[in-house]
Amino acid sequence: MPAETVKQFDALERQAQALMAVFTKAGHEAVAPAVIQPADVFLDAVGEALRARTYVFTDPDGAELCLRPDLTVPTCRLHIARNGDPARQAKYCYNGSAFRFQPQGADETHPREFRQAGIERFGETSREAAEAATIALIISALETAGLTDWSLRLGDLGLFRALLTAAGLPPRWQKRLSTAFWRQDALRTELKRLSTQPAERAKRLPGELLKVLGGEDTDAAEAGVAAYLDKRGIEVVGTRSIFEMTEHMREMALDAREKPLEAATARLIETYVAISGPALTAGAKISALLAGTKSGTGAALDVYDRRLALLANAGIDLGRVTFSAEFGRNLEYYTGLVFEVITPTLGAASPVAGGGRYDNLMRAAGARVDVPAVGAAIHTERLLQAVSGGRS
Amino acid sequence: MSKLTLAVPSKGRLMEQTTELFAQAGLNVRKIGHARGYRGEIEGLPNVDVAYVSSSEIAAALKSGSVHLGITGEDLVCETMSDSETRVTFLQKLGFGFADVVVAVPACWIDVASVGDLEDIAQSFRRAHGRWPRAATKYMNLTRRFFAAKGFGDYRIVESLGATEGTPAAGTAEFIVDITTTGETLRANGLRILDDGVILKSQANLVASNVAAWTPQLLAVREALTRRLKR
Repeated sequence: MPAETVKQFDALERQAQALMAVFTKAGHEAVAPAVIQPADVFLDAVGEALRARTYVFTDPDGAELCLRPDLTVPTCRLHIARNGDPARQAKYCYNGSAFRFQPQGADETHPREFRQAGIERFGETSREAAEAATIALIISALETAGLTDWSLRLGDLGLFRALLTAAGLPPRWQKRLSTAFWRQDALRTELKRLSTQPAERAKRLPGELLKVLGGEDTDAAEAGVAAYLDKRGIEVVGTRSIFEMTEHMREMALDAREKPLEAATARLIETYVAISGPALTAGAKISALLAGTKSGTGAALDVYDRRLALLANAGIDLGRVTFSAEFGRNLEYYTGLVFEVITPTLGAASPVAGGGRYDNLMRAAGARVDVPAVGAAIHTERLLQAVSGGRS
Repeated sequence: MSKLTLAVPSKGRLMEQTTELFAQAGLNVRKIGHARGYRGEIEGLPNVDVAYVSSSEIAAALKSGSVHLGITGEDLVCETMSDSETRVTFLQKLGFGFADVVVAVPACWIDVASVGDLEDIAQSFRRAHGRWPRAATKYMNLTRRFFAAKGFGDYRIVESLGATEGTPAAGTAEFIVDITTTGETLRANGLRILDDGVILKSQANLVASNVAAWTPQLLAVREALTRRLKR
């Protein structure tokens, strides 16, 4: 429902002003970042996949720009531009348009232009408190706008990483599985490979290099690779150094010496990813899973429980909260908590609000240090539709 | 009745081979008026207008429906439209204009044989160089779609409109996506095709636009023309 008539626009604006009033009352400073943004930051944070759903263009000077696909990165940039120290604590709120290319054609449920009202909290080290406050404020704004029937869906990418650590996997494998988590099939393939034939990748390496690559001496390994290329007359082309290639091959060679991933551990990971249901029950399931690992229940579950307690304290009815372990896939900004607010009229495919933690984004946006950050945005056209009874 | 517009390549080897193809079917394609003009006709098929257009523009004309039929490479069709299945119909492979669109990396990357390996090295490349590895290509859409289907997104495209195979050596890209026929140019530039790096095996095709203004009469003309070419 793009606001193409004055009446629709007025209705959306009135609603947005009500939302912004809730945000500013809670101490968030209202900002209005630029609509046109450098594409670089987004491409760095999301990767080339961004282009498939963003309006990226070249200006007459040859600079690559984009119409902002969200207001989170623009707010990060604004924060950095204002502050010598981006780690300084700040709370912002905004209301404005965002743009997405819809490959299957734009329609009412897949608009190419839509409006977001949202909040960001930067620099807070009491993480779960900042997360619970963000969720509570979004819910409060939604309720102020007249939304009564909603449910909250939580996910946590940090919990998956914590499970890998608790299971005692080599750091190399933890890294690989964390990367694979983004896609269901990739995770399954990687688990299968690690539990059946971790040596498989090493088989592709030149046999004569295996010994030196698997050894302790990294200089000798690099020299071995250089000699190998030299002997075969393979010219070193490009910016990637022999050192970098050697490091990558050393990882493969080390894999070959590792015992395969235990079937029980692979099962543990798969069981975790499948967890989905009421947040309180899911907590018990995760607790039971972690209890069976080498290092037992860790700090990760404390985080989970603390977050739920903080949400309950903030007046959120936990009966409305669900948890899904695999939620967070395909949302590559996020590094920890992810959440969305769902209404029965619009369904799970069209959440009225969503957000989470993205501790790496500030660095991608130009900060020289990592800055803890959590935020969320309300899809205001959807919200208006939900509160007016699903009519568009 | 209105006429069927057929777009054919306006220059080079592709134009010659197209003319040859029609000649083999006993059809004489010739220009109308000035030899440097851009309109033509097929002797004996008065309901067909021939438009001489550059190869990449043929794909765009099929996409918009401003021509009914066109002779162009599959690579250009797929590059020009993300929804080629609905916009056009590939009527016939023509047996010339062969070109593979491939992903090629420096041959010295003995640790990289597949797209999965590229994904593997992207993170550490970024740590070492402060940016994602770059792919030089003029096939920006094909590249993006191919890697997206394989779940690989940690790279950056740099557009390259010529001498793409020289970009890794020049240090302006880490790997490339380009067309190749024999692989000779790639080898000469110290590059190697990834094991799973063939994006598209392309050749010239007779392609119909699904969005052009088709009438039963024009469909009959199309039918007659394709029957002649298939013989």
